[in-house]
Amino acid sequence: MSEVILVSKSRVEVPISREAASVSPVLRSMLSNPFLEQHQNKIELLDIEPHVLQKVVEYLEYHQRYMLVSEDEDIPDFDIPTEMSLELLLVADYLNI
Amino acid sequence: MYRGRNRPRGKASEDNQVRGPNSALTQFLKEQGINAESIRQKWLKSREKDKEESNGKVKSEDEDESVSIAKPATKSRRRAIEISSDDDDDDDIDYDDESEEAEGDSMTSGVDNDENKDQVESSASIRSAESRLKRFAVDAEDSDEAEYDEGMSSRTVSETPVIEISQEQLEQKLKKSRQQLQQRKRKKKRAAELLDRKTRRISTLQDTCIAQISANISRLQQNTNSSDESISAQIRDTLGGLSTQNMNKLARTLSKNRALNDHTLQLFLRTELQTLAFHDCSRLSYEGYKLLAIFAPHLSELSLQMCGQLNNEALLYIAEKLPKLAALDLDGPFLINEETWDRFFTRMRGRLKSFHVSNTHRFTNHSLESLFRNCGDTLVSLRLCRLDDVSDYSIIPRCLKVRNFERLALEHPSKEEYVTDDVVGAIVTAAGRKLKHLNLNGCTALTDTTIVNLKEALSKNEGAESILESLELEELDQISTDAMVHLFSQVPMPQLKVCSLKRCLLLEDMAVTELFLNKAGEKLVALTLNSLKEVKGECFEAMSCPNLERLDIGFMGCANDTLVKELGDRNPKLEILEVFGNNLVTGKAEIRSGLTVIGRQSDTL
Repeated sequence: MSEVILVSKSRVEVPISREAASVSPVLRSMLSNPFLEQHQNKIELLDIEPHVLQKVVEYLEYHQRYMLVSEDEDIPDFDIPTEMSLELLLVADYLNI
Repeated sequence: MYRGRNRPRGKASEDNQVRGPNSALTQFLKEQGINAESIRQKWLKSREKDKEESNGKVKSEDEDESVSIAKPATKSRRRAIEISSDDDDDDDIDYDDESEEAEGDSMTSGVDNDENKDQVESSASIRSAESRLKRFAVDAEDSDEAEYDEGMSSRTVSETPVIEISQEQLEQKLKKSRQQLQQRKRKKKRAAELLDRKTRRISTLQDTCIAQISANISRLQQNTNSSDESISAQIRDTLGGLSTQNMNKLARTLSKNRALNDHTLQLFLRTELQTLAFHDCSRLSYEGYKLLAIFAPHLSELSLQMCGQLNNEALLYIAEKLPKLAALDLDGPFLINEETWDRFFTRMRGRLKSFHVSNTHRFTNHSLESLFRNCGDTLVSLRLCRLDDVSDYSIIPRCLKVRNFERLALEHPSKEEYVTDDVVGAIVTAAGRKLKHLNLNGCTALTDTTIVNLKEALSKNEGAESILESLELEELDQISTDAMVHLFSQVPMPQLKVCSLKRCLLLEDMAVTELFLNKAGEKLVALTLNSLKEVKGECFEAMSCPNLERLDIGFMGCANDTLVKELGDRNPKLEILEVFGNNLVTGKAEIRSGLTVIGRQSDTL
């Protein structure tokens, strides 16, 4: 499983698996053929605060983990800190997740 | 089995260690002296007593007795179930844990007591398993059946020898019952999710955030006095705060998720916002609009799209409570009647500079007249789109008073004959050279006369340049190449940034070539040539637009791989090239870096 680095504001790097990153159509497109990000394995998201990006990564991993579970298995809720919700909403909109 | 739900829980709640209904059951059992240990002790005591009495009896009789002695314990458990059954399913689970505990205890004690080890183990586990099975049966069926089933089960306990049910079978049954319970819970959850219109199992992060935001807004509203002025600020602070610049971004995101409602509207109140655009107001009630008018007093530009619930009262509130309002864009305000439009324009007299309205059947000729009568002195921007009840567009040139009229958009009249060459000619003549934006999309009755009139209006002073910034003539299928050549060759348009000739089906290469040769080519940022099927492609040889960022050449027969490469090379800033419907543009096309080609058949997501 290859890894991708997401770079947030202040150049804080957050690693994530390529599969989990691909949950976001935006990141998936960036990692697809004609773009530079595919070779570098690094995506710069310099408008996003590090703590928000960390939460985004948590969500992507959560989504990827429970994406293919069977009907019978329960999926836990994804928790969001209240004070982050507005900021996270804008980032989620940008990443289309 | 139906029992009242008003069982007093005062004691339970008084106890600090009690948490929720599950613990209330435990508390009740404790109060009644029912616990696994006491039941075990009682059973062991009676077991020893019996043993002493029937010391000489055969082993088989001994086994039968153990079953019958086990009965009181089962019964006491049953009593506990009956009392607790007015709680939810969770109680069942809790009871399940209790019985497991009992089972565990019995097992431990069984190890200590070597003599009775096997019997204790089997009878205790069978007993707890039986009671659980009965409980699941009670849950699964209707109350009548449950009672019947209950009776049957207790009879089974007393009459059927327990030894006939093997351990494996019991385990299987238990497992099955557990699965059934879980499945029921899952179904319940799915049903609840469906009612919330959630079809996907994993919510999107956006949905989760919006749910969180809405829940917090509701909670804060409940906790705070409604007259408290700091509530909106408090909401924003609690949710992490947002800059004024991001407010419109948030409005867009909420609209996109169909989540803009009276609750989320709170985010936009009591701010310094001067410009606000809501792209989907369909869930905003008239009360919401009134709140917006009262608590966002600095607004000068307001755009409310799909504002179906905006009523007469709310519109008048907007006019009254927003003293700085100068630009209003409304889409779908079909509740506003003629009289209210009249009153609104009267109130906006002297300050309404821009008025855009679309998709309503209640904006009439009279309303249009009222607009110009009251606000004609200040109005510099007008957009009328899909208004079913406006038939007399000649009111506009008749009433147009200002000398600096900047923007005119007449789009998709209900009948094409309502917007004629004469009307448009009169307007552009009245507006003159000050016109910056002209949009005549869907006015299909217009012919070359309009273009000639436009040329005359824009070039009144010989040699002077036009200040036109956008020209949109979509679906004008009667205008010819000659007319466009005449316009573009005679009137320099150095400011032109947006041009759309979409579906002007008669246009040929010369018309487009002339556009590129015009000074317009230097400033052009967005160009739409979609569906110009008569254009053969020669025009692109003259193309050199240093600032062009978006180009739409969809459904043009001449588009192919070579053209795509050429366009990329000729226009250094071109970012988006749309090629929908062009099957000659293939995956082999050479695309320079920085350019995105959209709409190729070979591109699949």
